[in-house]
Amino acid sequence: MPPESDDPAVTSGGRSDPAVGIRICGLNKSFDGPEGELVALAEIDLGVREGEFLCIVGPSGCGKTTLLRILAGLEPQFGGSVDFTVDTDGKPLQSMVFQEQGVFPWLTVLENAAYGLTVRHVPKDRCRAQARDYLRKLGLSAFEAAYPSQLSGGMRQRVNLARAFVNDPAVLLMDEPLGALDEQTKMLVQTDLLRLWEGSNKTVLFITHSLDEAIVLGDRVAVMSNRPGRIKTILDIDLPRPRDALELRNNERFLHLRRQVWDSLREEVVSLESDENRAPVAAGAAP
Amino acid sequence: MRRVEKILVVASPVGVFVLWEILAYLGWIDVRILPPPSSVAITMVVMFGEEGLLDHTAATLFRFFIGMAVGVVPGVLIGLTMGIFRWFRAFTNPLVALFYPIPRIALFPLVLILVGINETSNVIMIALGPFFTMLISAMYSVLNIDRIYRDVAENFETGPRHLYTMVTLPAAMPTLMGGLRISVGLGLLGTVAVEFLVGESGLGHVIWNSWQVLSLQRSMAGLVVSAIVGFAVYLSMDLLERYLVPWQKKTAPV
Repeated sequence: MPPESDDPAVTSGGRSDPAVGIRICGLNKSFDGPEGELVALAEIDLGVREGEFLCIVGPSGCGKTTLLRILAGLEPQFGGSVDFTVDTDGKPLQSMVFQEQGVFPWLTVLENAAYGLTVRHVPKDRCRAQARDYLRKLGLSAFEAAYPSQLSGGMRQRVNLARAFVNDPAVLLMDEPLGALDEQTKMLVQTDLLRLWEGSNKTVLFITHSLDEAIVLGDRVAVMSNRPGRIKTILDIDLPRPRDALELRNNERFLHLRRQVWDSLREEVVSLESDENRAPVAAGAAP
Repeated sequence: MRRVEKILVVASPVGVFVLWEILAYLGWIDVRILPPPSSVAITMVVMFGEEGLLDHTAATLFRFFIGMAVGVVPGVLIGLTMGIFRWFRAFTNPLVALFYPIPRIALFPLVLILVGINETSNVIMIALGPFFTMLISAMYSVLNIDRIYRDVAENFETGPRHLYTMVTLPAAMPTLMGGLRISVGLGLLGTVAVEFLVGESGLGHVIWNSWQVLSLQRSMAGLVVSAIVGFAVYLSMDLLERYLVPWQKKTAPV
């Protein structure tokens, strides 16, 4: 079993914070696996502040995606409680940005971007106008009639972002949306994402396995423990905004924060490795 | 490279005909059993002119299209419903499992008794193959839809109408097109088989009747026309696919 963390720095959702937008208390989830019950999440306590960009990192298989799917309403069975206290102001509560293959291949770029509005029976003209607005911001105007198969991976992922932003929800849930992109494209899409988000007042939960990505994007980074997943620690990322994904990586403060997050994550990764290999592994250095 | 491919695509059928003609000319094959392409072509022209081969072709096409429509439309609708609703699948699956494996041609006497010796029973016989093929492929096309699309639809709170028209149907379409290609073959097979048995018209009747009077050239001419019909129908599937599945990369076998 992974080591317990009693770090007082863990920010729990129990604290009375007036700006809490999502309050997660004692959340747990298990699946029926082939070898009996598999506990994916154990006692997650987390308060997501309204309007913040919260990144969640953790070793693979720690239940990050399960946590997000529960928040997205895709896993109806779980223990504990999830309360969205965020002020929706008549907008949809939440939309999820899926991994790259979540873009509908049979809809054009414009139809994909407008999907959320279309299924909410928004008049066609307004669907298109709002979709075009975001496609323009993401540099996709010239491709609105193209099908996703005709686009590069980075462009497809921008369509995915557009679909969620056009729907204009109060909360955006992002499940490693940039995981499949190469490093250069990833930085460009990160910059686009930051540009769309900054000043939008949206609360974002962003799951990633990349420390750099978490620090570049997030106001706070939550580190999850090895399975069964818990929130191990939460770090404040006090880098000034607006941020530039390309410039930030040479910033000294960035490197310092990166070391901090890695220190927290390392023992989880190491314990996962030794669990899997049933052999001791020497503590690894930072990647 | 693509030009070479285009030449090869034409070269293979032409090569077969040329070889056949040469072997017949050299006397290596018995022209009474396997008449050479040139003489079949001449017979075909004569039959179009004097023996109403065009009418027979039209009769075959008519039966085929009616039979396809009668089989494909309900097959797709029932199959999609089976894929979407668990309870409906539980209810209908045993019936499909019971009737699907019966050799369809063996049902012909029963259909003749129930419906009578008329065009309706012919159409029913032709429709059976496409019906079951489309039903099964439609059901699996829905069951195999990638889970991520359902998740997206659910997360965006898609209502039933949009779920059907914007997610389920297009996601199922490529598999349905595959089923349709197989159905077309079964439909043509069924059409000719029915015409063998009861037809007074159609290419199947021409082929079978000519064979019975040992006019192999006529039989062969009927065969060639039905092959051309099948080829044309198959090519039209490509056009249909381009129209119904426009998002897929071009997959032109010819």
